Amino acid sequence: MSEQQPPANQAQNSQGQDDVTHFGFRDVPKSQKASQVADVFHSVAGKYDLMNDLMSMGIHRLWKRFTIELSGVRPGHQVLDIAGGTGDLTMKFSDLVGPSGKVVLADINASMLKVGRGRLVDRGYAGNIEYVQADAEHLPFPDNSFNAVSIAFGLRNVTDKDQALRDMTRALKPGGKLMILEFSKPTNPLLSKAYDTYSFTALPLMGQLIAGDSESYKYLAESIRMHPDQDTLKGMMESAGLVGCKYYNMTGGIVALHVGIKP
Amino acid sequence: MFPGPTLLAAVTAIIEGALNQALELDPAGRQALLTALNAPVRVTITAPLPLAYTLHTTGRRVQVSSQPPETPGLEIQGKPIALAALALGDDRVFSDGWLQVEGDTALAHQLQRAVNQLNPDWEAAMARHIGDVPAHFLGQRVRGAVKWSRNAFQALNANIEEYVHEESRALPGRRELEATFADIDELNLRTERLAARIDQIGNRAPTDEPENP
Repeated sequence: MSEQQPPANQAQNSQGQDDVTHFGFRDVPKSQKASQVADVFHSVAGKYDLMNDLMSMGIHRLWKRFTIELSGVRPGHQVLDIAGGTGDLTMKFSDLVGPSGKVVLADINASMLKVGRGRLVDRGYAGNIEYVQADAEHLPFPDNSFNAVSIAFGLRNVTDKDQALRDMTRALKPGGKLMILEFSKPTNPLLSKAYDTYSFTALPLMGQLIAGDSESYKYLAESIRMHPDQDTLKGMMESAGLVGCKYYNMTGGIVALHVGIKP
Repeated sequence: MFPGPTLLAAVTAIIEGALNQALELDPAGRQALLTALNAPVRVTITAPLPLAYTLHTTGRRVQVSSQPPETPGLEIQGKPIALAALALGDDRVFSDGWLQVEGDTALAHQLQRAVNQLNPDWEAAMARHIGDVPAHFLGQRVRGAVKWSRNAFQALNANIEEYVHEESRALPGRRELEATFADIDELNLRTERLAARIDQIGNRAPTDEPENP
């Protein structure tokens, strides 16, 4: 199978029109993207963890583990986990900040938040976690509130990424760290071809078989291709006011962890 | 860069999992180790592949990370064999310079004691999977094998030492050597004292001369 690319005319449209954005390979009005993304996650919330394990063959746990290791979060810290979903990162942050710290699990999607809250409470995580339904572009937190802000596999679903990066930076304390864990561009052409084949054939099939929804996983594969590559995202972080920005390619660049510091 | 972040995370996950599993089997040892790891400890393996890990506590668990801590309480650096000797309770790793230690050396000794005192109840862990009787049977055999190999190793060492010193006379005896070293140390000390005295006399001589003869 050849490498999947967005249709050329739609790519041109998205450059020419300010009021449209991409939803996978399709162009949609900016006002509709959030609701369409919400529909995707309402559909997959129940099987989200199982699908993550199946699709990544469990490697997503290692990507998240490295993110936690790099976070430098210590007891007493305030941490914001945006698009926290089912709470994988929140759980680890909760252990690290201890009873004197606080973790805010924020997600724009009520279904994901509900699943995450249930999972964390079932595992005995309570007391230092708050749950907030919030849009990454308009975070309901005062300036300089958090020692660390993370967003794992969420930024590509945000309509206005630059605005979201600016707002995350605003919510960070000076010296605080923003960590963006997101699918990115494989650095090896052979790996890239294999990854494309896997994404556009196996993922929708797995989605259909396990979650009964192939369209959401087709969107997942498409949205990954439309997401900015490593260097572009690094530039966007610098434009948002972060310094010391760098990224770590993981599993050959399939995923990249971007880190920046608020000056 | 090798190993990459994914592999590093896999290695730290395996070490952390194994360490915490072992600590679960020895609650007293776990408490001692958790106390010793109150401040983050950075362990750097220098060869064959330079790797560095940070150990610190989070609640009742030991966390292993590939990233350096902001303020390590202790940094230990050395080859895998020296770190293995440390884990087995060999005190000479610090005095002989096999391991480079930066930070609180008392913490290093506390950590070594805690690691040395760890005595996980492997038999109980096995019994959960294969039952009490088979676990006890296996445990006895393993303990017997370990005891036999330890005795055999000590006997071999003693025999080699005796042969080299007493039979082949290839090397002087331990006590004879210690006496010679003590004599050399004493001679060295006396020589240094004599040199210091000569220097002192030499410095004093010009001042003893009258200014106006």
